[in-house]
Amino acid sequence: MDEMPPPITELLATDLDDGFTELVRTQAGAVRAVLLRLSGSAREADDLGQDTFLRAYSALRDYSPQRRRELQPRAWLLTIAANVWRNHVRTAARRPATADGVQVSDVEPADRAPGPEQRALDGTRRDRLVLALADLPEHHRLPVVLRHIGELSYQEVAQILDSPVGTVKAQVSRGLAALRAAPQLAADAGGSGTSGRGEGRYSEEVTG
Amino acid sequence: MNGSDEGRRVNGSPLGRTMPEAYDAGPATGLVAGLAELREPAPAGFAALILERAGVPAHRYDRYLAVPSPVGALYVAHGRGMVTGSAAVEWFGTAEEFETAYRTRTGRSAVAVTKPPPGLLGALRTGRDRVLRYEFGRLGATQIAVLEAVRAIPFGQLRPAAWLLREVGGALTPEEVWRAVRANPAPALIPTHRLSLPDGTPADCGLPTGFAERLREREGVDEERVDRFARAGARFLGSGTTRIFCYPTCAHARRITARHEVPFASADQAGAAGFRACLSCRPVAA
Repeated sequence: MDEMPPPITELLATDLDDGFTELVRTQAGAVRAVLLRLSGSAREADDLGQDTFLRAYSALRDYSPQRRRELQPRAWLLTIAANVWRNHVRTAARRPATADGVQVSDVEPADRAPGPEQRALDGTRRDRLVLALADLPEHHRLPVVLRHIGELSYQEVAQILDSPVGTVKAQVSRGLAALRAAPQLAADAGGSGTSGRGEGRYSEEVTG
Repeated sequence: MNGSDEGRRVNGSPLGRTMPEAYDAGPATGLVAGLAELREPAPAGFAALILERAGVPAHRYDRYLAVPSPVGALYVAHGRGMVTGSAAVEWFGTAEEFETAYRTRTGRSAVAVTKPPPGLLGALRTGRDRVLRYEFGRLGATQIAVLEAVRAIPFGQLRPAAWLLREVGGALTPEEVWRAVRANPAPALIPTHRLSLPDGTPADCGLPTGFAERLREREGVDEERVDRFARAGARFLGSGTTRIFCYPTCAHARRITARHEVPFASADQAGAAGFRACLSCRPVAA
């Protein structure tokens, strides 16, 4: 990504504004994608993404050049993003008046009711994965999203979650298993018979 | 779930990161690929809004957007009131590739926005870019002079490099001229596709052939007519009624009826025949 030109961390150390601009240019998509899948709402992903970078910028201004040089940009930003999101969820829970935006509801009316259910069936495989991911409990969704949307290593995810690496691997793995079992994905495009998760799009596709 | 892995290990390495991991191997493949598809790019304007709100001075970065044009979608970058670059969208796999190439060329970041700079859409629609100003990045003064002279070639007309040399003045070699032309930072806007070889046929201006052809076609350059004059060795075209001679693609030359077309192989020949040079297309120094 960054070899021939000076790496972003070097830019951050020598010219904060230029480095920050490059940071935003190269990482804004990843940060927003993670927040989009965590929050389930494009509007919130926009807001929380803005917040993440604003916090990053003010933090960077206080860092010494040496410290900026040693950053792992993506992991560092996603750490901030995860905190911003967790704070947001906590705040929203405390103030239910504004909480209606928090649920995944404003992207897809999610599940249960026959209407959306049918829509989910009709939707593309991608849409159904989005729905299933949004339904995943937070303690599974966060590690799965950080690992597979944010493209962080297990060590990096473990640091963000403040858990041992082994625990994180297990959480991600269980999260993926839960996704595979999710009703949205288990209902197959094949139509008719919902003969359980064996037919799921993402069921075990490799057999030894 | 983790029964018989090892078969395919795709996960660990979407970005070539992390260590080999048994956990990652195997059955998750399709699902992980599905998740990877959810990494969608941020909407245009997202990055620019961050920079604005963070208070990064606007002159520290450039903006760009994809705009429709008669020859297909173009990326056009701009900043500080100037157009800083353009490129066909089709030349890049992703917008990010364009951004990277832009950064490499200019040393500046360009972030996606949605609003075009003033005058751009009109310039693209009409093919006339006089209202735009350009920033040529790292080009030298002579190269900038060449490209500014190229901008004076009218819509739908062709000029040879010799004309450019004369317009720029100074002691430039043809090599320098062509190097400047090929360094055009704003293809389609700065009309290097309107340059011709000495015989009047379109020159290789460094753009992909098909793209340059589309630009000329869209401007109504009649390549068949251009070829006909080139084959006949007619570099200039005089009018038997006005006794003025022009480049064949000059708007005045195109109005000459076939009966009054007087072809010339050189300006000297035209002069000797008592013709004077057109003041619009300036086949000789005016």
